[in-house]
Amino acid sequence: MALLDYQTSLARLVRVSNGGDPSPGVLLTPRERRYLADLPGNSAFCFTVRVQRSWCTGRAAKAAYLTLSVLPTERRERLLEEWVGSGGGTHSFVGAESEAFLDFIGRRLPDPSHELTICRMELAALRSSEGSLRFERPELSRIDRTDCVLLRGRYAEVVHFYEEPERVLNALLKREPCPALSLDITTLIFGPGLDRLYMRASSMDAVLYDRLWSPVSTANLLAEGFNRETIERLLEGGVLEYVE
Amino acid sequence: MAGGGAKLKAAVPRLGIGLPYFASLPAEFYQCGAVDFVEITPEILCRQRPAGNAIELEIVPQHMERAKSVCAGLPVVVHGVELSIGSAHGWNQAYLEMLDTFQKVWPFVWHSEHLGFQTFRGSDGCTQEVGVPLPLPPTNEAADLVARRSAEILERYGVPFLLENPAYYLPDPPSDPEIGDDIGLMRKILQRSGSLQLLDLHNVYCNAINHHFDPFAAVDRMPLDAVAEIHIAGGSWDGGFWMDAHDGRVPEPVWELLEYTLPRCPSVGGIVFEMLDEHVPRLGADGIHQELTRARKVWMSCGQGDDHGATRLSDVAGAVSAGL
Repeated sequence: MALLDYQTSLARLVRVSNGGDPSPGVLLTPRERRYLADLPGNSAFCFTVRVQRSWCTGRAAKAAYLTLSVLPTERRERLLEEWVGSGGGTHSFVGAESEAFLDFIGRRLPDPSHELTICRMELAALRSSEGSLRFERPELSRIDRTDCVLLRGRYAEVVHFYEEPERVLNALLKREPCPALSLDITTLIFGPGLDRLYMRASSMDAVLYDRLWSPVSTANLLAEGFNRETIERLLEGGVLEYVE
Repeated sequence: MAGGGAKLKAAVPRLGIGLPYFASLPAEFYQCGAVDFVEITPEILCRQRPAGNAIELEIVPQHMERAKSVCAGLPVVVHGVELSIGSAHGWNQAYLEMLDTFQKVWPFVWHSEHLGFQTFRGSDGCTQEVGVPLPLPPTNEAADLVARRSAEILERYGVPFLLENPAYYLPDPPSDPEIGDDIGLMRKILQRSGSLQLLDLHNVYCNAINHHFDPFAAVDRMPLDAVAEIHIAGGSWDGGFWMDAHDGRVPEPVWELLEYTLPRCPSVGGIVFEMLDEHVPRLGADGIHQELTRARKVWMSCGQGDDHGATRLSDVAGAVSAGL
């Protein structure tokens, strides 16, 4: 038996479980082909597939815990089914697929909506938390160098709430009707060096973050009216970074 | 290889009764005298991160510090789940690199892994996860592959390496006649590599129910002189199958199997009551304590323990370094 071919065929069968030819393009003996071909009709195989689906669903549910918990049951189950059906949930390390799953969910939620805000917040918290593991506070004196250029932090994110964040979160978590979307937007800013990884953004914080979608020199930023304290605070929080 | 194995076999110290490291249990539980050693799955202290085209397993310092402080003074054994030792396309190199670091920071008495595979080569040539561990076919090719890798691990870490017999639901795969079945596969690997067996009695029970065989007869066919650790656990019915769910108390037939098996294993170093972390709150500290107490009674009745119960870390360190 060619172990590699056998494992590839069996693993594909368990993951896809759609019958058909279990071993396209692999060389197996007739006996092995028969074994694999008979599996989809076997109750023990079906149970193995069910266990695999259940484990994958459990992992995926952990990977986007907050977002899924604020969605109606039917929508939550449909998203999990779709994700696991497309091969998601196989990673033992939840963090490894959280980002991809939250991105997948985010593309399926109405924009704007409170649910999408929560999804973006969970993603932002995940990224800033990841960044915090190796975050080092930057040397602020570099701001004064003539060649100093800044950009948004790799692990930073801005999340807009269309109502007071506490009201939105409380309503969603208690499964109460959400407040209507308000034009009065509250912005949270996430960064790996911030206390609790986030803070309420001032209007200047938000404008500066928006401005830095591409690199800009500190000299230009100061000339445009951004104040030094804001730049320093966001740099220290990892919301902005020096361009090396 | 066999000589090295015999040397390592002699170095398996008698630790007593073990419990996995559960982040949800208070540290006091591990220090209350019911636990002689801790079985730790290092992956739960790690996060995965991309490193170029590869994936790296990075130990999270805060998780490590907490685990070390909870287990203070207790001997530790490692029980990995991510190696995929039987994957023909390659094993998990990132796991081994992480374990290299782990061992430097927190030396372990022995190291175990599951006999099976959980990754395969995808159509793009990259490693893919199955999402659930699968059993190996009882063939010479599988035995050779795992024996070679087990010997490498023995060499790499210098402590006994144990392979755990898996629970599986799939019908018996095509086999080589001289290997026969999963017991033959385990026997062949141990013979060729010098590694030892982690005998999971709940897995034996689970397979016996689902595949309709006598678990006692199965135990009789196993290489019991190479059993260095025994697992007991709970499970539950699901869809007409007995699941290896690790979700509660040890079923009565598994206790009977333990009482039958333990006196037949001359080199066993400890019994571990396994459970999934998420089920710990349901059984609670009292329930876990009761299972550990019962395991200790069996351990003592087989003449495995001494009046003081646990072998402490200093004794173990001496035994391991003398044996190696």
